[in-house]
Amino acid sequence: MKPSPLPPLAQPGYWLALAWLGLVAAVGLLAPWLPLPYPAAAPDLLHIATPPAWLGAGPAHYLGTDALGRDVLAGLVVGARRLLALSLPAVGLATLLGALAGATAGFWGNRLRVPLAAATGLLAAAWWGWSLPIYFIFILLIISTLLLIIIKWRRAAARQAALTVALPLDGLVMGATTLLGAVPRLILLVALAAGTPLAPAQLLGVLALLAWPEPARLVRAQMLRVRALPFLEAARASGLPEGRIWWHHALPHACRPLWAFTPLSLGGLIGLESALAFLGIGQAPDVVSWGSMLASVRQAPAAWWVAAGPGLALLLTLLSLQQIARFLAKKMA
Amino acid sequence: MARWLLARLGRAALAAWGIASLVFLLSRLLPGGPEQAAQPEAGDLSRPVAGRQSAASQALTQQALRQRLGLAEPVFYVSRVAGPPVTWRWNGLHNQYHRWAAQVLRGNLGQSYRNGQPVTTLLAHAIAYSLPLAATAAGLAVAVALGLGLYLARTPHGWLPALVRTGLAALQVTPLFLLALVVVLLFANPDALNLLPDSMLDGEPATGLPALGYWLARAALPLLSLVLAVLPSLTLPLAAALHDEAALDYATTARAKGLTVKAMLWRHALPNALLPLLTTLTELLPTLVAGTVVVEVLFTIPGSGRLLAEAAAAHDYPLVIAGVLLTAAVRLLSLVLADVLYFLADPRLRPTA
Repeated sequence: MKPSPLPPLAQPGYWLALAWLGLVAAVGLLAPWLPLPYPAAAPDLLHIATPPAWLGAGPAHYLGTDALGRDVLAGLVVGARRLLALSLPAVGLATLLGALAGATAGFWGNRLRVPLAAATGLLAAAWWGWSLPIYFIFILLIISTLLLIIIKWRRAAARQAALTVALPLDGLVMGATTLLGAVPRLILLVALAAGTPLAPAQLLGVLALLAWPEPARLVRAQMLRVRALPFLEAARASGLPEGRIWWHHALPHACRPLWAFTPLSLGGLIGLESALAFLGIGQAPDVVSWGSMLASVRQAPAAWWVAAGPGLALLLTLLSLQQIARFLAKKMA
Repeated sequence: MARWLLARLGRAALAAWGIASLVFLLSRLLPGGPEQAAQPEAGDLSRPVAGRQSAASQALTQQALRQRLGLAEPVFYVSRVAGPPVTWRWNGLHNQYHRWAAQVLRGNLGQSYRNGQPVTTLLAHAIAYSLPLAATAAGLAVAVALGLGLYLARTPHGWLPALVRTGLAALQVTPLFLLALVVVLLFANPDALNLLPDSMLDGEPATGLPALGYWLARAALPLLSLVLAVLPSLTLPLAAALHDEAALDYATTARAKGLTVKAMLWRHALPNALLPLLTTLTELLPTLVAGTVVVEVLFTIPGSGRLLAEAAAAHDYPLVIAGVLLTAAVRLLSLVLADVLYFLADPRLRPTA
């Protein structure tokens, strides 16, 4: 969504927020090429809990070091990169998934009918994926072929509708959101991360899993409203196929609330991921993020510079996302 | 009406059971789960014998451990046997999931992997700390939210309400752990203000009235963090609802009758504005329980949240699953509470005699 050309001083909060997020993104993207004197995870044991360079001591530790001797500036940069590599794709994935699931559930409800034969074929494919006994596949294939033949024959003979089954799409989606909403997200995340340290891709998947129900509910509610509008009736009356109506006409309208919601969702997920890193659950000990840096201040409470950098960066990022969400909400209303 | 409530509760209970089952199955199916927690650490120097054991005896120890923890059985009713001819096997009722489910239904949550104590005992000890904390925080938060909401509705303009609004909006996006960390670093830091002690467990508990003061002083900072964390989500909707209600005709009538703004808001607008707040209340208690995880770790309170966090860090799955079940139970409780409050607050919902 491109904001309309506004004079830069009309919305100072919005432009400041954009500038900060742009800075974070640029730092995160350019992290491997920035001339940093120290790596993020390697401790400098000669300089433990050194104050920032402008306060005296440290050689080239511009923002000081923490209680383990890790450079704070390098940690900030790596944390910004982690934001880009983890939280942003997770929110993108969750929003995409949630929008599609919610829009499908809201548009078709529990009444989407698929040919029985197609359902059997799908089932056969699933069995194939789980490599069930071979004879099972043959049985299923024979059944579905027979059904197809019968349907064709009956259609030709009696001009009847095909043999169909109703897919309970709405029930499935709402059931999944209820299941994931049974406990707060932080508790669920802690429980799911309780095993061996998660790989970045796994953590991304878990975060997306926790985040998709919200956009799904939002889009479903909007789709229920959109479905009853006259222009959809007109589209149906003009003979368009259902899938095309859904994709071209209903989906863009149903996704409108997502513009204002996605920045907030990103903020929530960044907070969640930072909280997990702060608690130190499911993280490899050498992974540096803003949350883990904030946790390390507890080992040396006098070293305020360890908490100030990541804390401010995190707070500014979340406030910026809130500003942008507010601006988009006002614009879309 | 009772049927509707029952259906709602049934759905929520089913979801709670489903999510606990999901965590259980994942914990058993993922590699490096339970056994890892029960094994002595590789670098554990207190057990020098373990290093000198032969491979065969180590395998035997491992087998005995799996046998003792009940991990030797198949995980679920059906299991897939890998191999070039993949086969599926029906395991009957002798599987870990069935055993676990039966035990949980009897109220037995198993034993901790780390020290072998029953999970119910550990949880009962921990809840004795967490429940008063969360309940006090909930009560305080609701009271402060009512006061602030009424204040914001009474004086919509001016710099102080604007400041309060901005502060609340900023608080709304601040994660609880950051908030609590700031509170600790500001108020319980020997290098900054050392107003209040940040640890609940140093010093000896007294008896009688001094004990109350002691606990209040210890609980002040955790309570402050929790209340600040949930305050915006309670106050801002309430202030908006009060503002909307105050613009309606019945409010104007009440004002024309000669009531002050304060009395009109309190007696006439508040009961109507409270209804949306009750829905927020459903989410408040689970949020507080989740919040206690962070707050208890930070303030080293031996409550259920810290128990859960430590169990998760040590792969102690019986405790983790018990924590999930406990949180889901709290959510069930808050659903019932919100419905009961709805009936109390809204006479239209009461069954007519």
